Amino acid sequence: MLRHTTHWVTKPANRVDGPDKANGKAKYAGDYRVPGQLATRALRSPIPHARILRIDTSAALKVPGVLAVITSDDFVDHGRFGFPVADNFILAYQKVRYVGEGIAIVAAVDAEAAEAGVRAIELDLEALPVIEDMEQALLPDAPIIPDVVTEGSKHGQPNICLTQIVRNGDPEPIIDASPVQLDQTYATPFQEHAYLEPEAVLSIPNPDGSVIIYACDQSPFNNRGVAAAVLGLPQDKVRVIQAIVGGSFGGKDEVVYQMSAQTAKLALLTNRPVSMVFSREESIMVSYKRDASQIRIRLGADRDGTLQAARVEAWLDGGAYSAETVLTAWRAAMHLAGAYKYQAVKGDVHVLYTNNNYSSAFRGFGNTEAVACIEQAIDEIAEQVEIDPIDLRLKNIIGKGDQTMTGATLNQEVGLRACLEWVRQKSDWDRKRREFPLQNKGRRYQKGIGVACYFHGMGLGGEGTDFANATVAIERDNSVTLTNGLTDYGTGARTVFTLIAADVLGARPERIKVLLTDTETAIDSGPTVASRASVVGGNATRVAVEKIAQLLTFAAANLLQCAPAQILRDKEAFIGPDEEPVDFDTVVNHARKLGYVLSAHGRWQLPVIHWDFAKGTGTPYVGYTFGAAIVEVTVHSGTGRVQADRIWAAHDIGKVLFPEGAYGQLYGGITQGLGYGLMEEVEFNHGYIHNVNFDDYIIPTAMDVPPIEATFIEAPFHLGPYGAKNVAEPSMLGVAPALANAVYHATGKRIRELPLTPERVLLGHALHNDDHGDNSRQWLGYGKGLGNVRVI
Amino acid sequence: MNTQIKFTLNGSPVMVEAPGEISLLRLLRDHLNLTGTKEGCAIGECGACSVLLDGRVVNSCLVLAPQVNGREVVTIEGLGQQDGAHSASDLQAAFVKYGAVQCGYCTPGLVIAGEALLRSNPMPTRAEIIDGIAGNLCRCTGYQQIVDAIEQTALQRAERTQQHAAAKVQE
Ligand code: FES
Ligand code: FES
Repeated sequence: MLRHTTHWVTKPANRVDGPDKANGKAKYAGDYRVPGQLATRALRSPIPHARILRIDTSAALKVPGVLAVITSDDFVDHGRFGFPVADNFILAYQKVRYVGEGIAIVAAVDAEAAEAGVRAIELDLEALPVIEDMEQALLPDAPIIPDVVTEGSKHGQPNICLTQIVRNGDPEPIIDASPVQLDQTYATPFQEHAYLEPEAVLSIPNPDGSVIIYACDQSPFNNRGVAAAVLGLPQDKVRVIQAIVGGSFGGKDEVVYQMSAQTAKLALLTNRPVSMVFSREESIMVSYKRDASQIRIRLGADRDGTLQAARVEAWLDGGAYSAETVLTAWRAAMHLAGAYKYQAVKGDVHVLYTNNNYSSAFRGFGNTEAVACIEQAIDEIAEQVEIDPIDLRLKNIIGKGDQTMTGATLNQEVGLRACLEWVRQKSDWDRKRREFPLQNKGRRYQKGIGVACYFHGMGLGGEGTDFANATVAIERDNSVTLTNGLTDYGTGARTVFTLIAADVLGARPERIKVLLTDTETAIDSGPTVASRASVVGGNATRVAVEKIAQLLTFAAANLLQCAPAQILRDKEAFIGPDEEPVDFDTVVNHARKLGYVLSAHGRWQLPVIHWDFAKGTGTPYVGYTFGAAIVEVTVHSGTGRVQADRIWAAHDIGKVLFPEGAYGQLYGGITQGLGYGLMEEVEFNHGYIHNVNFDDYIIPTAMDVPPIEATFIEAPFHLGPYGAKNVAEPSMLGVAPALANAVYHATGKRIRELPLTPERVLLGHALHNDDHGDNSRQWLGYGKGLGNVRVI
Repeated sequence: MNTQIKFTLNGSPVMVEAPGEISLLRLLRDHLNLTGTKEGCAIGECGACSVLLDGRVVNSCLVLAPQVNGREVVTIEGLGQQDGAHSASDLQAAFVKYGAVQCGYCTPGLVIAGEALLRSNPMPTRAEIIDGIAGNLCRCTGYQQIVDAIEQTALQRAERTQQHAAAKVQE
């Protein structure tokens, strides 16, 4: 695959979009200013669950400055969308199912007029009973939330959307016969993505009835598909251009599809550009979350600590619409019992409907929840058998040739052991495990240290065909233009593509420009999720560029009158048998003279694997990344406050292509894991979100992040470009459970419920702030009356 | 009600008519088309809207537009052009070089906060840097490389100042 040594890949490099971002020139979707652009405001549901009895928008249309108002009636099939389960709507149809759900959108000359328009809409709602949590969703007389027939309906549980399973032998009898057993339930919270850029979209109509959508989306092709379907347009009449995206972490899919379709419709109706920019409150109230979970884990082990079997059952609060939680649940199922060898594993992950906003993709995609729980359980087993937690892990982790918990055989290099050993050594683990408990006696500040490790399946796996398309063209000025159907929403993917193209082509990175993904110029590559951009998108880039590189070699051979095999490359130079270097421009110009077409397309696909969803058996992924984290904490015994003092992390991500980018992803992921473990929790009170802005929803600041010492274990992966795997998601996985294990080491208290807020550490449970959703209500306009909304 | 606001923006005098109750952030973004300054929360919690007001860093979402009358505002767009002792473009370049930029949405605010810090404390310790940027949220980077970028810029500036002094002595 590699024909010459690397000059650019794996070396220090500047992010290609870095300078524009650092000097304020980068344009995010909310930064576009187009003449005649209209502003929008939404009428949103003030209550968690209701039937829509009547909407009358005629008074709104009479408000000065208002140009159009839309509802679900303005879309094909009432704007129904959603994959895999089509239970969601562009605007609420017949019912509202969560606080803040969009009901109508007003476009007007300015925000004030749009706001006045919203308040003029007449809306009658009939309040329905609210399902506040998963327990209520399962009660026999619970109101049914979805308007689709669910898998659970067959078993008298209509609020169970579906259950994802893994079946690898029969663990229960083995557990029952094991001398060491564990049966515990763990809980993880809803988490807000809290990307710094609130969602924004701008739609511009074209004279031919088509529309351009500038969006902060993660997956422009999926966005186009949804918009075209609900607008009743052929796909080529909808062009989606991805603006620079201010962070996503899985969070800018469904919510941005809704905004895109809404603004596109309004743009077509008014023949004016239409923008929609969320405030932070709107973003937190309206956009989806990481699901909250409850995971019951039963483990059986021998007295020497050898794990025998696992039976795991998980319940995910998917909220009002299933969105990608259906797939999240599958990924959770594939990782429930962790990176260990077992004789048998059985897992069930149920997706439940409630009236708590809705859940969908978020970094780690189900595995974050799974790792958070299983890694605490493993520590509990270690304690029972009185073995050091790292020793117990080393005894049980999977290696090359072993069967994973799903029963599939691992056919790749596995750097997990090396990761655990690295963090153990760097953190001075053995001494601290021994000494901290002795030092803590009678002290107010208690020190602890905890570990966690993980595996993470690469790419979509059984979720779908894993492919990408890239194009490359050498322009007239001999610059190189790339496109890729997989996108960069802050992850550095464009830089990775640039470096790969530079190396394969032998062209300086400065020559190369990766266009923002535009559905008109790039080729559909499915969704940009599952941290697959580097591997799948990178390989597609390689395939495309290799074609041009070969043409240039032919041209150089022709110019130097030698055989193509005699041409050597050194950076931009082509060197023939006479050792006379010819530069890149000369060769490109000669190739043109020869009539070569200097553009190409590359497609690359991961090998097809098969997972049987009904049976819960098969091969879930083509490969895995691995990692381990250790966190050292200080717990204040009087207040319960936990402070992370140091973090060590080692990640086996294959070859590192863009070191600054990879470390950035690693530190960023660790920090999100720290938030997840210590402070982040979207609190619902009767369906209303309590923390709708950064004064109440607290994410880590620079003060909260301790020194991080991290490394990459580069166990090569045969399918990745240059042996690379992915990093974006796995980096956050180990932190929260390592924190929980460290807090246990410090205090002797096993809390089993994240995040580890002072109340939980002190009292063992959360103190819920029962404010009846005052923050949400205030934002929704309760204080000013609710305009013309009547709740019956 | 529109009111007239006169101030110095990135070194040049400006005069705008704008509603008196809007924030400086809205004035910059909606009336002066300077979109480098970002809105992340509008309640003073995230620092994405940081600008320099008379040389001090402020959250522009918390400043009323008329309050800048007669004062001096520097935004991210104006930082690189300032000549004075140090052009901030070295700090911007360091952000790129040390991997402190990911999605970039927090970056203008953090560059402004970093610049304000270096102007008041040219050789900050790592702890002082962390303190100086504690009002700026970043969701992508985990802050490590941002601290690196500010620290390295301080070192480079100190070196340059020394060379400058040495050259003067030689003269
Ligand atoms: S927008 Fe001003 S501090 Fe967040
Ligand atoms: S780089 Fe994305 S918020 Fe800081």
